[in-house]
Amino acid sequence: MSRKLAVILLAMLVLVGAMSLKTVVVAHGNGSVILANGGAPQPPIPWDNGGAPQPPIPWDNGKAPQQPMPGK
Amino acid sequence: MGQRQGSAATDAREVTRITDGSRDGPGHGKDDQVPGPYAYTVWFVCTLLEATVLVCAVRKNAFRRYLLLNLYMAASVVASIARYNILSHYGYSSKEYLYFYYYSDFLLTILLFFALTSLYSHIFAELEVGRYIRTGAMVLLSGTALFSYAVVQQSSSRLVTHFVVEISQNLYFVGLVLTYVLWGAVLKLRETRTRLIQLILSIGVYFSMFAANYALQNLYQSRASIFEYLTPLFGCFLPLSWAYAFWRIPEEARTVPARLAVVPR
Repeated sequence: MSRKLAVILLAMLVLVGAMSLKTVVVAHGNGSVILANGGAPQPPIPWDNGGAPQPPIPWDNGKAPQQPMPGK
Repeated sequence: MGQRQGSAATDAREVTRITDGSRDGPGHGKDDQVPGPYAYTVWFVCTLLEATVLVCAVRKNAFRRYLLLNLYMAASVVASIARYNILSHYGYSSKEYLYFYYYSDFLLTILLFFALTSLYSHIFAELEVGRYIRTGAMVLLSGTALFSYAVVQQSSSRLVTHFVVEISQNLYFVGLVLTYVLWGAVLKLRETRTRLIQLILSIGVYFSMFAANYALQNLYQSRASIFEYLTPLFGCFLPLSWAYAFWRIPEEARTVPARLAVVPR
């Protein structure tokens, strides 16, 4: 195997390891993000809407059977 | 066109609603919209330390040798000053501060990634594999960007901001793994340059402190106020240890690895 392919393989291994670690950590987290650059106060994430339960979608009509189409 | 205007209006309403929410904690002022004196003090000390790294590097003739590390520190100082200007002009809860904070953080994280890559070049300098390190770094960066895009592509609004925050966080984890791999290489190759070892270990401890803080914060959510004191303090660790490495440890200093003594029977 050429050296370049070995480098790409190593990079992919590092990426897989890092993303697995991230998935494990964030799955047990509270939704906040880890940012490690300086001491400036971190603002809230723009899409962090709190932990309130999500309401049902307005156009979801439940599990009732669908009416047959008149033309059929 | 109308749809785009509607989407922008929804965006603005959502951001206003979110940033109107109160934010408790010791780092924040009484009106919940401005950081408190503690947060400002730590931030100021942190920026001062970052500037100190640059001064120490220039005084000890290490600026060009560790160019990317110093560029990262210079960018951190510039970002801190710009963030302070925006914060004092528009306020903590403003969209301007929010977006500038996350976009500048994205750029700083990429710079830190390249700074870490430059440390790889220092460690593997004798093997003459600089070209492969550059290739590996670009593959890793592209892979992280693709992964981040795959995660956020379902977001209907603020796709770019989602992407920027996601890739910053993913690069943080990539940096964490890369630092430990580099530390393994240092041990394997029996690296003896004390300053280089100090710089690498500093990044490793810095990343690990944030990871441990995040884990403990989630484990002990009832004691969140303690961690709100600690998190900004951790930001001062990297510039402090790098300033120490440049100022106190000469480039010629070597650390002799410990050897096992053979006791004759």
